[in-house]
Amino acid sequence: MRLVDTVFRQGHLSEQALVEALMTGERPLHLDRCDVCGDRAVAISRWLDDVRTLGVEAADEVFSPEQLAAQQTQIMKRLEQLDQPARVIAFPSQSRREQRDAGGRRVAVSWVGVAAAAGLAIGVIGGQLSARLTGGQATPAQIVQSQGAVFPTSQETPIRPEDKMLLDQNFDTVNIKAFEAVDEMTPRMSAARFGG
Amino acid sequence: MAGDTIQPVSPREADARVAVDVKALQAAGQLDEARERFSELVTRHQRRASRIAFHYVRDAADADEAVQDAFIKAYTHLGTFREELPFEVWFTRILINGCLDRIKARKRRERWIAPPALDPSGLERNPAEYLPSRGPSPEEHVLAQERRRQLNAALAELPDRQRLVFMMSHFEGRTSREVSAITGLNESTVRVHLFRAIRRLRGLLAPGRPKVAALGRRVSRASR
Repeated sequence: MRLVDTVFRQGHLSEQALVEALMTGERPLHLDRCDVCGDRAVAISRWLDDVRTLGVEAADEVFSPEQLAAQQTQIMKRLEQLDQPARVIAFPSQSRREQRDAGGRRVAVSWVGVAAAAGLAIGVIGGQLSARLTGGQATPAQIVQSQGAVFPTSQETPIRPEDKMLLDQNFDTVNIKAFEAVDEMTPRMSAARFGG
Repeated sequence: MAGDTIQPVSPREADARVAVDVKALQAAGQLDEARERFSELVTRHQRRASRIAFHYVRDAADADEAVQDAFIKAYTHLGTFREELPFEVWFTRILINGCLDRIKARKRRERWIAPPALDPSGLERNPAEYLPSRGPSPEEHVLAQERRRQLNAALAELPDRQRLVFMMSHFEGRTSREVSAITGLNESTVRVHLFRAIRRLRGLLAPGRPKVAALGRRVSRASR
């Protein structure tokens, strides 16, 4: 018996001593002589047994035999995956290779851009050059046409020489024989105004 | 004939033999056979490992994953296993390290997530309570559930090391020396942890104490 137990506990064993005795199975002599400590040891022992039962039950309730079987299956599956060499899924590279094979030739994407830019430059320069070369010979009709006008041109309705003359004459002095009869029947503006 | 009698093999020796066989099969590239042989070890230690993991991490799903990971790690690192040490001790060490990592990760996660849902009485619900049990009567079933819930809550109150030592010593029946080998703690430290765990649990589970889960919540809030 320890001195501490003798002085402070009137010779009785401490709880720690009782627990150690129970856990290690080394029974102190004091337990055989002291009923109080014997009862305390029994109480602790019962409590520990209860706790152990409860603890094991709580875990076994969560991990039923079915769940343990499922767990083992899962473990074995994972081990199998570990042992197998890793497989590379060839889907994207495979399809690309097929496309290449089908075309027969592979054209780099950057060259497509370069070709497009060159085409645009050639078009612009060619357009400018052709405009300059043909600029002096363009007729007014062609210019009007090029500006998107929808008026009739000289080529569509040819103007007679006498009609050309009409454009430059005053309408009061114009005398067209075909309209003379009609002109006779039409009252004059001046006569109508003064005649009332 | 006397020579034909089969000597009984201790679990430790049986484990060591299987481990040596698996190592040899792995080295020879006979992986199917190695896995098949290793499944014997899984069968033998799975339940015990699940109990340890469940009480240590206090979550069924986490415990399940921890056990799986421990067996995977044991299989892949079997080359480092030495026969001088019992396979059980070596494996339990792997398991406990894995559980410890999970606990740390969970603590980091819990800083950023909302607290768990509480039942109408204000206590945290344990998922294990929803599972069916084989109680003989509804009253006993409810009482047993309540006691298990209280024990789980009380165990949750213990510091990680105390809980581990208590579990290994008491639930698994390991000696202080074995627990010392598994945990890497000094033998006397193991005894101190064990006694403190028992004293604290007796206090928490004593009749007339406030609900341990509610107490635990207050403690965890205060520690944040």
